[in-house]
Amino acid sequence: MTAVIVEQVPPGPVLEARSTTARDLAGRLTGPARVLAAIVGALVLFGVVIAIKGANPFSAYKDMFTSTFTSWDSIGGIMVRATPIMLAALAVTVPARAGLINVGGEGQMLIGGIAGMGVSLGLGDSLPGPVTLVLMVLAAASAGAAWAAIAALLRQFVGISEAVTTLLLNYVALDLMFFLIYDRWKDPHGSGQPATRALLADQRLPLLGWGRVHAGLLIAIGAAIVVALVFRFTSWGFRLRVVGGNAEAARRSGLKVGALLISAMAVGGALAGLGGLTQLAGAEFKLRSGFIATYGYVGFLASWLGRHRPGYVVLSALVLSAIAISGDSLQLDSKLPAASINVLMALILLMVFGFGTRKAVSS
Amino acid sequence: MSLVSEVLMGGIRGGTSIEYAALGESISERGGVVNLGTEGSMLAGALAAYAVAAETGHPWLGVFGGAIAGGLLALVHAYFVLSRGANQLATGLVVLFLGLGLTSLFGVGYVQALAPTFRPVKVPLLGDIPFLGSIAFHQDPMVYLSYVLVPVLWWIIFRSRWGVLLRAAGERSEVLTTHGHRVIPIQYIAVVVGGMFSGVGGAHLSIAYANSWFENMTQGRGFVAVAVVMFAARQPFKVAAGAYLFGAALALSPALQARGYGINQFALDAVPYVVTILVLIVLGRRRAAEIPEGLSKVFEQSLSV
Repeated sequence: MTAVIVEQVPPGPVLEARSTTARDLAGRLTGPARVLAAIVGALVLFGVVIAIKGANPFSAYKDMFTSTFTSWDSIGGIMVRATPIMLAALAVTVPARAGLINVGGEGQMLIGGIAGMGVSLGLGDSLPGPVTLVLMVLAAASAGAAWAAIAALLRQFVGISEAVTTLLLNYVALDLMFFLIYDRWKDPHGSGQPATRALLADQRLPLLGWGRVHAGLLIAIGAAIVVALVFRFTSWGFRLRVVGGNAEAARRSGLKVGALLISAMAVGGALAGLGGLTQLAGAEFKLRSGFIATYGYVGFLASWLGRHRPGYVVLSALVLSAIAISGDSLQLDSKLPAASINVLMALILLMVFGFGTRKAVSS
Repeated sequence: MSLVSEVLMGGIRGGTSIEYAALGESISERGGVVNLGTEGSMLAGALAAYAVAAETGHPWLGVFGGAIAGGLLALVHAYFVLSRGANQLATGLVVLFLGLGLTSLFGVGYVQALAPTFRPVKVPLLGDIPFLGSIAFHQDPMVYLSYVLVPVLWWIIFRSRWGVLLRAAGERSEVLTTHGHRVIPIQYIAVVVGGMFSGVGGAHLSIAYANSWFENMTQGRGFVAVAVVMFAARQPFKVAAGAYLFGAALALSPALQARGYGINQFALDAVPYVVTILVLIVLGRRRAAEIPEGLSKVFEQSLSV
């Protein structure tokens, strides 16, 4: 049974004889250079795609770059966009440490936003604004944690893959928000699109004096630092890693695997819920259709792009946010639909996943 | 028409697009590859089918175009997963993003376009059976095609030589290797054929069900297909039943509203997803044991713990 015939020819002198092909060149690149080369490859591919669509790729890239990076304010715009995405990405990173796949950031963010809005609507101006805001933060984190815990509990006690349940719960959360903004919480004085009333002025996250950048950015970066420290220095962080590495071994050595998995998922959900709240209290101020719009999914991609390491994850969130923002220029300057930026985002991720490391092909 | 028969008929009608996608995903998963990009393949199929049908005036050419588009997107998934060793779940989601972006980029011109649709056709004799006839045999031709496809697929997977190779690739790939077969090409075929089925599912959605194209029109149906495959344990007949269940949950909302029930639309919209989760819960533990070995590596590292 153990004898497995290996058909592949071992890499020998035959392969080395072919000197400077592109493949060899790519093989020599390592680390950041490889990732960079992968990104350049993606940019070239996307240029071809938009050229097929009749846009000039050179001017499109130029417009995308200038509209995204030239002013201090537009860089602030990247920070505003990146704030919820960083938290959504960390919401994937923590469960991933324990080997769990959380694709439910989108729904957990929505639930966090809903919980925050609910606190504001329920309390009105009966408490001082900052106190209400703190309660909103707590409510958002707990609600996100509870929403994510559903998937973790189902995995633990019923044996359903959390990748599937978290995905399905996203749609349930979305319908819940629609129900609220079209019905229960609809602002009777609102005009046009259904939405809740706006948060009171003193229940919003303070601005940092850099364009529309708000205190949510500090929450997101603070969360990333805490996650990094927890991974590195706490026994919980270490146990998550053991469970993620080999759950069976972890169980045999006496770790409470079930509790660890559920807690990892709940912490992830709390981070996503927090992300939803920063979007609500820092940028949107009300629930409306399009609140969160794919930030949860972009966060998922950012976590994978950063290989689930907090520092790189934050960096990836910034990169993806910059790309997302540059998509606005595609619409304004090149007259392409805004969602076409998803193509560039997908190409970059594919190239980095497929060619960003030399190992690849594990089969 | 009674509420029950209306919901059941709508269940078949609305479930058929998910059925095609879920049958495709069953093939892919039998070969050991999970494709969350099913959602993207459905979207690509929906647009390509609608565009081809609108340009040529032939809905069946549209279906063919949908299959090609769905298969191409699945080929991207297959390449990065099988040849570049990328993570299946993350790559699948990226492929969805690719499909989302490409369809909005190339779909703008078809939002207002008119395309020929498939009209319901009554099957002679069978259509006259009381109750069952009105539910199952007053449907569009793509639904009838799926009736034929389910037993054919069952036969291919469980009785044909190709089915043996496919299942071996997903469950015990080393057995294939020792017998001199190459695993990767089999898996490529499984993933791409799976994507073609998803594309056909998208084609049913855009040409027959909605008879229109709009951005992100699948609204999670591809993910539901993956869930259906899971609780149906990759068996074609159960997959069909699961897809119809989701379709019935979809059909419940308009049927109740037409009868004047004052239930909130968005509460009803969530029903299909909740039903899917509930079915997973009911069947969960039993099904978990039937996951092909190759897949369990992908999906659950510590499921048994």
